[in-house]
Amino acid sequence: MMPLRKFSIHQPSTVAEASQMLAQYGEKGRLYAGGTELLLAMKHDLLRYEHLVDVKTIPDLNRIELKNGALMIGGSATHRAIERSAIVKQSLPVLAEMETKVANIRVRACGTLGGNLCFAEPHSDPATLLTALGAKAHVQGKAGVRAIAMDKLITGAYETSLAGDELLVGVEIPVLAKNQRAAYLKFQLKERPTLGLALFLELDGDNIKKASAVVGSVSVSPTQSEQANRLLTGTRAQVEKQIGDAAEALANAADPVDDTEGGADYKRHLIGVFLRRAFVKALA
Amino acid sequence: MSGETKTDFQIVNHSIPRRDGRVKVTGKAQYVADLRLIGMAYAKVLRSPLAHAKIISIDKSKAEAHPGVYCVVTGFDLDGLNPYFGHAVKDHPLLAIDKVRYAGEPVAAVVAIDERTAFEALEFIDVKYEELKGIFTPQEALAKDAPLLHEKKFEAGALRGFEGDVTAGQGTNICQTHKIQWGDVDKAFKEAAAVIEGDYYFPMTYAYAMEPYVAIADVTDQGVNVYSSAQHPFMVRHDLKNIFNLPVSKVRLIVPFVGGGYGSKSYTKVEPLVAACSWKAKRPVKLQLTVEEAMLTTRSDDAYTWMKTAVDKNGKIIARQAKIMMNTGAYAENSPLVVEKSTNRCVGPYAIANVLIENMSLYTNTVPASSYRGFGCAQVTLPGESQIDELATKIGRDPYEFRLQNAAKPGEEFFPGMRPFDGTLKQDLDTAAKAIGWGTPLAKGHGRTVAVSGSDAGAYPLTSTAVRVHADGSATIMTGSTELGQGSHTVLPQIAAEELGITYDKVNVISSDTAITPYDRSTGASRTTTLMGSAVQEACQEAIAQMVVMAADVLKVKKEEIQSVRGGVRCGEVELNWSQVISKFYALPDGEVIGRSYIRKSGKFAALPVFWEAAATGVELSVDEDTGKITMEKLATVGDVGLAINPALAEGQDIGAATMGMGIGLFEELVYEGSQLMNGSILDYRLPRFSDLPKQVELHLVQNRDGVGPYGAKGGGEASLNSMAANIANAVDKAVGVRIRQAPLTPERVWRALKEKNK
Amino acid sequence: MNLQFTLNGKPWSVDCEPADTLAEVLRNQLNLNGTKVSCEVQVCGACTVLVDNLPVSACTYLAYEARGKNLLTVEGLEKADGTLHPIQQAFIDDFAFQCGYCTPGMIMAAKSLLDENPNPSREEIIHHMDGNICRCTGYVPIVAAIQRAAGMIAKEKKQ
Repeated sequence: MMPLRKFSIHQPSTVAEASQMLAQYGEKGRLYAGGTELLLAMKHDLLRYEHLVDVKTIPDLNRIELKNGALMIGGSATHRAIERSAIVKQSLPVLAEMETKVANIRVRACGTLGGNLCFAEPHSDPATLLTALGAKAHVQGKAGVRAIAMDKLITGAYETSLAGDELLVGVEIPVLAKNQRAAYLKFQLKERPTLGLALFLELDGDNIKKASAVVGSVSVSPTQSEQANRLLTGTRAQVEKQIGDAAEALANAADPVDDTEGGADYKRHLIGVFLRRAFVKALA
Repeated sequence: MSGETKTDFQIVNHSIPRRDGRVKVTGKAQYVADLRLIGMAYAKVLRSPLAHAKIISIDKSKAEAHPGVYCVVTGFDLDGLNPYFGHAVKDHPLLAIDKVRYAGEPVAAVVAIDERTAFEALEFIDVKYEELKGIFTPQEALAKDAPLLHEKKFEAGALRGFEGDVTAGQGTNICQTHKIQWGDVDKAFKEAAAVIEGDYYFPMTYAYAMEPYVAIADVTDQGVNVYSSAQHPFMVRHDLKNIFNLPVSKVRLIVPFVGGGYGSKSYTKVEPLVAACSWKAKRPVKLQLTVEEAMLTTRSDDAYTWMKTAVDKNGKIIARQAKIMMNTGAYAENSPLVVEKSTNRCVGPYAIANVLIENMSLYTNTVPASSYRGFGCAQVTLPGESQIDELATKIGRDPYEFRLQNAAKPGEEFFPGMRPFDGTLKQDLDTAAKAIGWGTPLAKGHGRTVAVSGSDAGAYPLTSTAVRVHADGSATIMTGSTELGQGSHTVLPQIAAEELGITYDKVNVISSDTAITPYDRSTGASRTTTLMGSAVQEACQEAIAQMVVMAADVLKVKKEEIQSVRGGVRCGEVELNWSQVISKFYALPDGEVIGRSYIRKSGKFAALPVFWEAAATGVELSVDEDTGKITMEKLATVGDVGLAINPALAEGQDIGAATMGMGIGLFEELVYEGSQLMNGSILDYRLPRFSDLPKQVELHLVQNRDGVGPYGAKGGGEASLNSMAANIANAVDKAVGVRIRQAPLTPERVWRALKEKNK
Repeated sequence: MNLQFTLNGKPWSVDCEPADTLAEVLRNQLNLNGTKVSCEVQVCGACTVLVDNLPVSACTYLAYEARGKNLLTVEGLEKADGTLHPIQQAFIDDFAFQCGYCTPGMIMAAKSLLDENPNPSREEIIHHMDGNICRCTGYVPIVAAIQRAAGMIAKEKKQ
């Protein structure tokens, strides 16, 4: 077996205490939620920490509730809890459906939404969908509480805009209004998706008033393109005509590279395929 | 009794539940990973980050000073041992000596009180390297200015297993060559009505036995005792005997249950290193590799094949020529034999009058390649069965009919000098074709194909066994065959119970302890049922012959007056079962009779191969043209097994093999970028999963009792793998009209081929 | 650190390091070697055990997480009188394993499925079990065994 190097585990009982611990341990400490990514990296000696701060000991940080037209999902809620939450299934089925396909059943049982977002592994399903849905991360540190838009939270591969003493306490996800649609599709050959594509549409009768297409897994973080989103608005017929251009704009923004998951041209092609499929699915 | 005439089987040819069922479903089955010896230390291995480099120095002082560390072993610490091993070519140092030849090669081992301590100490070892130019493909290995991987000449391993010179270390990077030739291919190609020619690539693959390599060694003045997950303990014994310069009697290999092998646990792997650790640390040492380390230990040979096949105007295949280059990686391991086998397996199972196959394996700075289920056959069946379909298309023939016309016939000596063909390909193909609905309408984007393979299987016939019949009428089989999951612990007792006429429950199996169980050369090449099965059958018969003599003794009659009946003997009105014979003989209800048998290349096993392993597979698949992704709609396997001692186990072998073959056809591939393995973890090496299960699966057996094994049995378990990659490539061509000559057919490759076609 | 939990129906107390995984504690300290370890990257499922009825990868699940919880390993399935759990029996009946290395994890994953969905469809079985790898059987007999076990459990419940 691959042993883990020794570390201490700390059990904060409040967010403030956790933040204080993170500040205290600095580079030697890390927040620990589900551990599904962190412990793998530590087992492989890619990351070393002497202190893990267990966010799950903070009461109620795993709450899932509906508040003022938005889902509030606590930072330590597991994928499985979200997947099976009646509130989520009812108010935002696209999120529940995405969660049923995250990794495998054991990862979903332990892995948390907060951990997934903060670890910022580039192949995150939730990050891609939540970006399209306009979700916000609520974070708390010694400077206080702030909300960060999803596309500002993840700044690169394994990088976030969180300060060293900040932790993600929850995610606020607006539920879909009657005239709003969303879909998430992925293409996956290996353990992690090759491509994830999320699409959010706001309708005005037959017109698409607003669109947000986000592609994940093909580059370091979920990407959208203003130009693509613009091309995805208009009448359905117009959008259908422009969707190829929108895909190209999105691909340009994502700028995928050749790697073992596929050539850049293949990934660009897949963006087009899945943008079309997501469009059909969202409007179905 | 004559197996050929017996039909009223009581125990064999029945799907009796597995002998190891209960221990395996309750978690009680013991694997080496589960074993602990008193006073045992744990080893962890430091591996080279570089693919080709001189080792300038190793400073281990800091690591040895780490609390809890017993010792650190390096290539500089092996004085007193013969540190090179290899049953085919003795080119493999148990730890890198003077230089490293692939990224991931063991350079040092830390022995410590527990795994964590050993792991922590690794980073305190300071190795200084001088990097050398590396070579990573056979083409690079053959280049004029290519650096030599092995500068010195090597001895042939003592258990090489076939004729042919050792070319390793003779001034080139050529590890092994092999050639077969008959007829005149040039003339035939000139006269041909149609010819197909092309280049094919079969990838490096990883067997992923779920139990990674593991061994425990205890080296004392009593000898070398090793628990290992080895498929062939007697082969490993030989390497260890040489390394420690001991008589065979002082080396003991014990193999409990093995967590998957598929060829990857053939021959010697970590045992010499663990034994050296124990020798240095003066205590028992366990080394359990991780899966990622296992991926740096063995893989299959990847193969670049140019092949050309021709037919005459009647659709008869008249010629096949191939040039193969196999990439054996840093050390020969079993690749020389893979070269020989893949050369032979270019032919079968077709009768072709003109053949020229030239094969060569080359050393490169990559993970050593060795045995892998199918043993070189899958590598050449991708080109072979692809070309059959390509030719059929070219001459406008139904590929299934075309195969039927050209397949070797029962009893035909289609491979000069080898055993006449002992299978029934027509029936195999018919069964596969019917199972996947040959001739019925097919949806757009769907393709349907059948393919066959025939391997000269069974390895070398050298096997012995003992069956002990006890005074209570029960029996113990002493077998060197290893239980890898294939079911030897079930099949062998079935044979013994059938022969001795006792119930299956009364037969026990003790396996794979070289100090106790008689010699068996290997557990591989699908040989156990045929060879060990025959040995068990003969040993039972020999025990019966002894008990007949004993019965005559106790009944005070002539031996000729004793008639052998099921489960005992009869003499006039008197019937004695085995328990009574033995108890009366010893005048105590105790004691035993030992039946023995020795199988060698003689009698019914004089001709090689031991048997031709034949199977047909049928597939229907669909292709998503947008993404290139293949979905398996139907899969049929047809194992031509002579007689299935346990039909459920035989079918299980076939579907398991076909699924591995499907993995290679669809996505399994180790990828190197320069010197580094890019997907050395199963996060990135894609294995078949539940969701890859074909929507419809049919498993069939053809049982014509045409094998040399017990009751006409032959081996199985590899053949269904061999044709799968070709079958998938052929079906993709049928589905969407693109011919892909490389496995795996990943979505991206299919998409690129479609893009090329639609240009 | 000291941990207390219920394991296979009995209370246990163990001392271990925070960095010890549940697989290490089960195998090295508690002599429960039924839980196998293979990939160590949460892909293969050989080390699947149930924690409060949820399947987890014991190879990368800290033993620390088990404190106060209810654990079930493959050793806890057999009844005291030696009767096998229906899933275990079905795996034998359907030849749903060969080498057996994936089997304990496979059986535990199947249990977590049948506990929450006593009558799963083929698709539901595939979806739930997709994170458990078997290299020997090609999965065909495992799906059959899970279906058979579902039938056996339903029959037991009726009686």
